[in-house]
Amino acid sequence: MATALDHLDYDAIERRERRRVRGGWGAVTLAALVSLIWLAPFYYLLVSVFKSSAEYGSGNPLALPHGFAPILDNAARVWVDAQLGVALFNSATYGLIGASVAVLVAAMAAFGLTRIDFPRRTGWFMLIFAGTVFPFQMYLIPLFFTYQQIGILNTRFGMILFYCAICVPFPVLVLRNFMGQLNREMDEAARMDGASDWRVFVSIVLPNCKSPMLALFLLQFTWIWNDLLFSTVLGNSPQIRSVMNALQVFQGAYASVGPNISLTGALIASLPTVALFLLLRRHFMAGLGVSA
Amino acid sequence: MATVALRDLVKLYGRHPAVRGIDLEIADREFVVFVGPSGCGKSTTLRMIAGLETISHGELLIDGRVVNDEPSRERGVAMVFQTYALYPHMTVRQNMSFGLKLAGLPKAEIESRVARAVEVLELGPYLDRRPSQLSGGQRQRVAMGRAIVREPRVFLFDEPLSNLDAKLRNQMRIEIKRLQKALNVTTIYVTHDQVEAMTLADRIVVMKDGHIAQVGSPTELYDNPADQFVAGFIGAPAMNFFPGEIERDATGGLRMRTAAFSAPLAEGRFVPLEPGRRITAGLRPDDLVPVGHGMPPRRPLELEGSVVLSEMLGGESLVMVRLGDQEAIARMAQPRPVVTDERLPLMLDTERLHLFDAATGQSLRLGSAAR
Repeated sequence: MATALDHLDYDAIERRERRRVRGGWGAVTLAALVSLIWLAPFYYLLVSVFKSSAEYGSGNPLALPHGFAPILDNAARVWVDAQLGVALFNSATYGLIGASVAVLVAAMAAFGLTRIDFPRRTGWFMLIFAGTVFPFQMYLIPLFFTYQQIGILNTRFGMILFYCAICVPFPVLVLRNFMGQLNREMDEAARMDGASDWRVFVSIVLPNCKSPMLALFLLQFTWIWNDLLFSTVLGNSPQIRSVMNALQVFQGAYASVGPNISLTGALIASLPTVALFLLLRRHFMAGLGVSA
Repeated sequence: MATVALRDLVKLYGRHPAVRGIDLEIADREFVVFVGPSGCGKSTTLRMIAGLETISHGELLIDGRVVNDEPSRERGVAMVFQTYALYPHMTVRQNMSFGLKLAGLPKAEIESRVARAVEVLELGPYLDRRPSQLSGGQRQRVAMGRAIVREPRVFLFDEPLSNLDAKLRNQMRIEIKRLQKALNVTTIYVTHDQVEAMTLADRIVVMKDGHIAQVGSPTELYDNPADQFVAGFIGAPAMNFFPGEIERDATGGLRMRTAAFSAPLAEGRFVPLEPGRRITAGLRPDDLVPVGHGMPPRRPLELEGSVVLSEMLGGESLVMVRLGDQEAIARMAQPRPVVTDERLPLMLDTERLHLFDAATGQSLRLGSAAR
């Protein structure tokens, strides 16, 4: 009887269904327009980094560049004058250590909050969660004076300490939800297999949280990398500066050099986060998919 | 190879008792099934034996030694969970050897134990797959393999078949039975499915509201339920119940009268009953035989019912009939089509009638496990 069913043209049905489901031309046009608006700054950045200062000054800022060569001069200039090398190293240190430690600490906290029975668990969670509720600016002044008093203002240690702490609450929220959905019988099985709490955490729960943890690492790394406010206030000496802070100082100090050079610096500064995203893309999508 | 003893076992959650004092002796190599409706405390009891729940009160003995405060790994028990609880990030081989590695067994020993389990469970082709690449039945077998390799003294099963489809469930039930026979290990099995309990158990423990309602072999429970709860829980379709009372007939003998029928009380089958006593009569669908469909009982009571509806099962059908103003299920062997409101002559097996106290639900049969 199977042949009797095949008088239907499934390809045609599929085409018709796709046409029905897909939005009309109006929707596509609107989406394209919105994308253009969103892409405009990128266009500005891309045409500017390929112009020399003279070329930038003489023509329309939105005009296409004459060639690609000037980007090398621009890059060399900003690299030296803004001390980008040190700044990139600093930001990478803050980002890698801060985000890793924060996500790991958050994972331990989430494990405790979902797996270990202790009094007032919800209260403890709310306390940690409060860290994401209030605006971060609130911590700025008290932190500055405390850092000054105990002598860790303008130190790498101070910066790392701050980033480790500020990046914990959000991952706790996400990982607590994620771990809460992991099968409890799985860790009970491990316990019966002879695993201690620590062993359950390391060998059973952590490996199953890989995707959300990598996604959170990426988010927190990007946040630290892009942070300007705290890095300006807590770490403003040349050797300690983050890349964002360095760019800002550069733009202030060399106001005359022209946007093409600052923009080249900005482009260099954004490459690592883009690279990291591309590297972790698969986990990022999976991690968000589960926690959403 | 071990005996298990529960002495007045209690589990409290806050102040709410989930298990209310259970006493049970489980013999070496016995297959005991805990069965009961959800919330009856059967899983909690199993989890206390497993060491996954603390014991609020009472004693748990394995091989005569109190193990209340020992962690599960030292109790020599292994458990198969309802959701299989396999480690998703590990292969079948790693899943099975995880516990052995933690125990610090030498590599060769681990490999030979895993190899043996794999052979018994026919998991050879799947050793390097992850759980997500296995079917439900294969995952179930891996879960059993993980328990087997630890060579436990006691096997625990927590509703292991409830996530499988009906056909696979029947197949796995047979595998579990065969496995237990082959390994010869004391086994405690929890289920809410009385068919699983009947088919697997050497002894069934029926639980209700944190208590043991009755303990016995499948046949004992089926033929001599201690109370109305057990009578209604064991057996499918469920026993028919008819509320009524005892009365004296013209000849001076005792009868039970219900809205559906009136039957003389057989001598010596029940505890002494006085006229006027409120009772509930119980009759299994097998003992309500449509005339011409099945063995006529030895001492039949002839009745006529009107058909309400019938469920055709192929080799038999279940006919819901109206008797007086009550409905009951009759089992029709070699079924024929029946229509609604058809008058159906029936024979009721008076020797198989059960009587329960209307107030307490206790069986009034002599020699029933009246407590």
